[in-house]
Amino acid sequence: MGKAIRGGRGRGRVATALGLMGELLITLGLVLALFVGYSLWWTDVVAEAAAGRQGDRLRQTWSAPAAAPGDQAPAPEYEAGDGVGFLHVPAFEKSDQTILIRMGTSTEVLNEGVAGVYEEPYRSAMPWDAEGNFALAAHRDGHGAKFHDLDRLGEGDTVVVETRDAWYVYRVAGTLQQTSKYNVGVVAPVPEGSPFTGPGKYLTLTSCTPVYTSRYRMAVWAQLVRIDAMDTHRTPPPEIR
Amino acid sequence: MYGWIWRHLPGPSPVRALIALALVLGVVYVLFQFVFPWAEPLLPFGNVTVDQGGGG
Repeated sequence: MGKAIRGGRGRGRVATALGLMGELLITLGLVLALFVGYSLWWTDVVAEAAAGRQGDRLRQTWSAPAAAPGDQAPAPEYEAGDGVGFLHVPAFEKSDQTILIRMGTSTEVLNEGVAGVYEEPYRSAMPWDAEGNFALAAHRDGHGAKFHDLDRLGEGDTVVVETRDAWYVYRVAGTLQQTSKYNVGVVAPVPEGSPFTGPGKYLTLTSCTPVYTSRYRMAVWAQLVRIDAMDTHRTPPPEIR
Repeated sequence: MYGWIWRHLPGPSPVRALIALALVLGVVYVLFQFVFPWAEPLLPFGNVTVDQGGGG
């Protein structure tokens, strides 16, 4: 009898320990599933809200100079984090066709659902500069995933940059489907590996690839084809109407 | 573990269920607000820039 009870207790302890381990493993699985939900859904929600707020604020600051037409202020100097304008990509999903552009590619900036302007390792030329490369980065997944469809862009596609004073219409000239994450040449003033051979007015979009990883980077290069002056109604160029 | 928590919650079953739900929501809140934002940069899923090897 006593032996039977002791044996029963022993089995009970083992069963309890196994049960606890099982519960911990189930819990771990649930936490990992939650993390996937956080990465791919919740960070999008947070980033979209932040980008929407900042985009509205930028448009508000723009509406002031628009009230005095003909008053051409010099191109402003931007600091890290400042809103610069909007990137319009008709080839993207509807919700990602208009992307806020802010200075800097720090995690804090990029995580707020925007396209960030490279300041390192090359300081990007702005679209209104005489020449150079306006290089942008954005998340492929999570945090707004603004460049999720970057692989949809192909030669001849239109990308438009909207600033306070003008519409800059670019045409995609080349793409790089996969490259090393250390290949900083892709954002150089004359991007390495691009079809461009001399100085010019270029636009570079980078993100990570393949989707859901950060193993490689991809790049899309475009060349400025036209600058449309901004009218008082901010009428977009025909390419993105 | 969950059985132990359940047995130590006060009140009748419906009340316990409500408290348990509140606990679950509390845990999810802490994870989303504090734990995941902390863990995310440590995992190699969100880097989108080209750089010279620093964090991106």
